[in-house]
Amino acid sequence: MSKSSDSGTVRETLSKAVDELATQAMLGDGDQQQIGALLAQLGKLAAQADSAGLHDIGLAARELSAESGSANDAVLAGLERLQEALQRSEKPVPAAPPTSIAADRELLSDFIVESRDHLSSIEANVLTLEQNPSQLDAVHTIFRGFHTIKGLAGFLELPAMQQSAHEVESLLDRVRNGTITVTPALIDVVLAGADYLKAEVTRVEGLLGGAAPTEPASNAALLAKVHDLMEGKAAKASEVSVAEVTAAAPAAEARKSDATESRLVKVDTAKLDFLVDMVGEIVIAQSMIRHDGQLVSGHAKLQRNLAHLSRITGEVQKTAMSMRMVPVGQLFQKSARLIRDLTRKSGKKIELDLVGEETELDRTIVDELADPMMHMIRNAADHGIESPEDRVKAGKSPVARIGLKAYHQAGYIAVEISDDGRGLSREKLLAKARERGLVQDGASLSDKDVFNLIFEPGFSTAEKVTDLSGRGVGMDVVRRQVQRMRGRVDIESHLGRGTKFVIKLPLTLAIIDGLVVGVGEHRYIVPIFVVHEIFQPRPETIFTVEGRKEMMLIRGSLLPVIRLYQRFNVQPRSTDLSESVVVVAEAHGKRFCLVVDELIGKHEVVIKTLGAMFKDLPGVAGGAILGDGRVGLIVDMDGVFGELAHA
Amino acid sequence: MSISATTEPAVKSSESRAGKYLTFRLGREEFGIRVMQVREIMGLLEITPVPHTPEHVKGVINLRGKVIPVVCLRSKFSLSPAEYTARTSIIVVQVDGGKMLAGVIVDAVSEVLNVAAADIEDAPDFGSGAETSYLLGMAKIKDSIKILLDIDQVVMASELAALQTSAA
Repeated sequence: MSKSSDSGTVRETLSKAVDELATQAMLGDGDQQQIGALLAQLGKLAAQADSAGLHDIGLAARELSAESGSANDAVLAGLERLQEALQRSEKPVPAAPPTSIAADRELLSDFIVESRDHLSSIEANVLTLEQNPSQLDAVHTIFRGFHTIKGLAGFLELPAMQQSAHEVESLLDRVRNGTITVTPALIDVVLAGADYLKAEVTRVEGLLGGAAPTEPASNAALLAKVHDLMEGKAAKASEVSVAEVTAAAPAAEARKSDATESRLVKVDTAKLDFLVDMVGEIVIAQSMIRHDGQLVSGHAKLQRNLAHLSRITGEVQKTAMSMRMVPVGQLFQKSARLIRDLTRKSGKKIELDLVGEETELDRTIVDELADPMMHMIRNAADHGIESPEDRVKAGKSPVARIGLKAYHQAGYIAVEISDDGRGLSREKLLAKARERGLVQDGASLSDKDVFNLIFEPGFSTAEKVTDLSGRGVGMDVVRRQVQRMRGRVDIESHLGRGTKFVIKLPLTLAIIDGLVVGVGEHRYIVPIFVVHEIFQPRPETIFTVEGRKEMMLIRGSLLPVIRLYQRFNVQPRSTDLSESVVVVAEAHGKRFCLVVDELIGKHEVVIKTLGAMFKDLPGVAGGAILGDGRVGLIVDMDGVFGELAHA
Repeated sequence: MSISATTEPAVKSSESRAGKYLTFRLGREEFGIRVMQVREIMGLLEITPVPHTPEHVKGVINLRGKVIPVVCLRSKFSLSPAEYTARTSIIVVQVDGGKMLAGVIVDAVSEVLNVAAADIEDAPDFGSGAETSYLLGMAKIKDSIKILLDIDQVVMASELAALQTSAA
């Protein structure tokens, strides 16, 4: 091309000017006159660049020269863009070919993780910005997010992502310097940009996992929206003062966040899990030594040392477990996005109230909790919350509230999802249940029992099935998912006032606080979590119904009795209830009495899965290694009791 | 519940079946398992029974911190139950491509033998269908016959049986 020599000289001249300008700008209090002169020169060079066919460079140069008089940071940012445009022109970016994983696999996986972090932060900040359009701190954070992703994508040769990130970044830059204001349209476009990048990251992840090479999705629509917004606003003068005042802040903020970032380390979760497993093994091994009667009897010094060792391993274990904890806030943030989308679609007005975002959960629980929570929030938004008109008619504020709350309590963690909507209707639920044959006429059910009906499969009182929920497949799956985590869901509701779901979960899936009980020569572990009380029964409190089923009268309530040796087909020490121990436990929201031979102790035990061979065994939730090295089976109360419920 | 096709029995060419086998005794018969799949041999230890499992699944044991299932081969092959003796052993095997460990109870462990392809013959078809999928073949060593087992089939097939029982 005959233009190449022209473009060559233009590039060179521009580069020189850029370098000089950069030096002056970086000095902080560089010669303002010189800067002004250099910027003017850039303006002229911009015209030359355009005629040499270097439109990208021309645009960047022109934008930069327009910064004349602006704060230093704006100049630096403009410089950066111009420098990039120059670099890019030397290495033309190829039109998006199918992405192949030429780059190092490790680099790509790091990229995937990092990008997701940035996109997560972007989303959170965009939602904040939507509520507070003047909060420029959020704009800066969002800008940095897109900027970083752009850089990473460029380095890894992902041109579609790089270009998309660049466009949104440019858009945000204009917000930063006041050229464009924050409007709902802008929010939508930024979110669309983030969504596009999210989708592309997932696509790259798929490629890394072995999928066939695919082309990047088209970002034409996204780019069109960005350009529309950029062209729509021309005037900037009135917003300059705002930009100047806050331009100083981001530099400080950036330095501050860098400092905190250097205190954190990213660790492969596989390594972490392995460490936690091994620490668990150490605890068991040292426990076996410590409780070996033959070894320690008579050796006071040995016993003291072992006690000391046990305390140390306890500390190590606590620390290892805590490394797996993450704040529940990440879940809440996902909900924020969900609610925003739901309100846009349905026209209802919903505000989200978050409490306890710093509460920490084991990361596996957070992962498993995401689905159930999203479903319950959709339900609340879809069925629980009325339209603004209906709410006003009912004397409520037109803006509904959905509250998410997380807190620790007595060894477990609670997550509440509440709304101030319609509440559950006992009549409607009972009617539906009778229709489905789930409830007999004349059966007397407490409010709690009626509410729990929504967990039955196929149950849904929604008149219309929306695309969000109402297909009746949800709540029973939610309960099962929660139970799989050894948790439970309770419901509180008041007609006309609202509903509250409380999910209770153990602090960690790996360790359980268990009551070790004996039946014959076998040992079983009952999770303390489900135990209400333990006592030795008096014969006069035991009743037999229909000659087979047994019940016990406890403080005025009749509770069903289940003999564990019958459930598990083992030989008990005694079949005489007055020589046994009764554990009052809870399953399926109801209490019952579990009969065992003796109570051996209370231990924290590490849960070991029994393996594929014993999956889905009714009544057995897993195994644990007891202090003497033997395996004790962990009793699944719902399974033990469930057989009775359906008997 | 859908149970996907059982793990395919190993390709039964004589060449692929040749190699080193650990032999052991059940009743009056001698069996062999590929040495590559044998992880450990140990004496009997306390087995924790698991309810609602088939007769031949005796329970689980603690193998240095890992909980693994234990299957009684006499029971699996419908031999009459026998008293455990000092020689009764648990052979810990690796199945399912190394993903799963399991223990099998045998009357006594014998020796490691090198079995040549020429010595292997296909197991005769007893006409009872699934049973023969456990058998890799018969090896003629000196004057005795060793029954070569596909231990994956022996252990994994029990897994399906266990699933079917609990689903019932």
